[in-house]
Amino acid sequence: MDFSYLFFLSSGLFLGWSLGANDAANIFGTAVGTKMVRFNTAAVIASIFIILGAVFGGAGTTETLDTLGSVNTLPGAFMVALAAAVTIYWMSRTGVSVSTSQAIVGSIIGWNCYCGESTNFSVFGKIFATWVFCPLLAAGTAVLLYFLLHMLIRRTRMHLLRQDSYVRAGLIVMGALCAYALGANNIANIMGVFVESAPFHDFSFNDTVYLTRIQILFLLGGMAVAVGIVTYSHKVVSTVGNSLLKMTPLAALTVVMAQAVVLFLFSSQGLQNFLHSHSLPAFPLVPVSSTQAVIGAILGIGLLKGGRGLNWGITGRIVVGWVVTPLIALVVCFVSLFFLENVFNQVVYRPELMDL
Amino acid sequence: MFNVKISLFSHTKELEQKIDMLHDKIIEAAMVFKKAVDVYLKEKRSQDYRKLSKEIKTIEHDADVLRRDIENRLYSQNLIPDFRGNILELVENLDKVINEFDEVAHKFYIEQPAIPEKYHERFKELVGQVCECAENLAMASRTFFYDLSAVRDYSKKVYWLEHESDKTTASLKEGVFDSDMELAQKLQLNSFLTEVADIADLAENCIDQLLIYVIKRDI
Repeated sequence: MDFSYLFFLSSGLFLGWSLGANDAANIFGTAVGTKMVRFNTAAVIASIFIILGAVFGGAGTTETLDTLGSVNTLPGAFMVALAAAVTIYWMSRTGVSVSTSQAIVGSIIGWNCYCGESTNFSVFGKIFATWVFCPLLAAGTAVLLYFLLHMLIRRTRMHLLRQDSYVRAGLIVMGALCAYALGANNIANIMGVFVESAPFHDFSFNDTVYLTRIQILFLLGGMAVAVGIVTYSHKVVSTVGNSLLKMTPLAALTVVMAQAVVLFLFSSQGLQNFLHSHSLPAFPLVPVSSTQAVIGAILGIGLLKGGRGLNWGITGRIVVGWVVTPLIALVVCFVSLFFLENVFNQVVYRPELMDL
Repeated sequence: MFNVKISLFSHTKELEQKIDMLHDKIIEAAMVFKKAVDVYLKEKRSQDYRKLSKEIKTIEHDADVLRRDIENRLYSQNLIPDFRGNILELVENLDKVINEFDEVAHKFYIEQPAIPEKYHERFKELVGQVCECAENLAMASRTFFYDLSAVRDYSKKVYWLEHESDKTTASLKEGVFDSDMELAQKLQLNSFLTEVADIADLAENCIDQLLIYVIKRDI
């Protein structure tokens, strides 16, 4: 085992930790905020399912980031992840809810710019489109689900207490599914840049457990996210549920369900194959932001209610954050790569030889 | 560190029944009170009145037991955590309506006010309005647990009945104080009229709260 790899990987793990600390709030924030699920319960479920999602469902979206910019040295990957993590950390400290996907994409483009590599603009276009499309889709899905759930409750004339039990169960199940989808979808953000230089070997145990070298890398990333959730997400989880809009448990469930649907649409290879096989337009497999999905869903519910309960100040800050996050990550990465290469004499880019 | 506690579908059925029973108690109390006043006006403190007054006392006691049980279960089973305080307040206010029925019935039993016959019909009218008001409150509150949108229908009735009871009380008081009765008797009847009308006022306050809960629950 090359220990320098582990050192460089630490920035990815730091990124994973910050993702856990921030994005866990998107999965269980509304459930904990409405006091329907205890934080400890939420943290354990989220940790387990994020790791499972990362290890067993995390391959699809990595390819997209790889085509955006193929960071091919460890020091380069280290700085790309570190720049993204620092950006998230800094933005979080200013109180802006940030998107990890945006930070990492900004960082990769920063690396591309520094190394003179051309950015694959068709891929970037696809990712950029999801930044606009994802919140809108989440808002639309949330509104639709809200109507459906309301109709169901009115038709069944369910007692408030029973409703409460079902909503609670729904929040836990959907939270677990969301955690799985978050792990599957966002592990590429954390570990994607280390895939190419991962020194691990495929691992099998008694022919029952088989993990590829990439799955081992993703397992590490998933564990870092879990540590982030357990150690640092409590405050964020507690506040996300109520900061933007005071919600009922039913609205909280709608938000989580809408988020799960959107993350599933953008991360399922099975769904993409199915749609392709039926000659239907498929959703691109790109790492979408759970923050954007959850904020979009909350805004959808808030607007459905006439926008009265929405905190427009926080909404504005979040949207501004979505614009500046990739730009800050790009600049931080570019400047840091300069120092890493010229001050610390690290190779941040290996030119690829073209076969003629 | 992690005490994972998932309490799903935990005996909510039993609690649902208890909340339903509390609503039943309000309707029961209203019906028995109406009958008791009728009996009192006819027979004053007769054996029949004594029985009916006792019946109201039993209803009040049962309602208290139900209220305590509901409150305990809501907290011990961690049910509707975001809304528990409001449910608790609602249950307590429903219980206050039943208490008021008991207090007035008992007051009749103890003080035995002499109500001149010419006021009997108006007095029955007032009691009828107040009891209907309480019954509609019970229906509104029961509906609140099943169908938020229907609460408004019953609340309109409660408001209307409370307003009518106010008018009846005012005209009765006016009649009492314009009469040749002793001042002590006038004041005693005034106090009775106020207490009977208070039942409708309590129901109205309860409905005010209920409508706010509907708005809160709807967001």
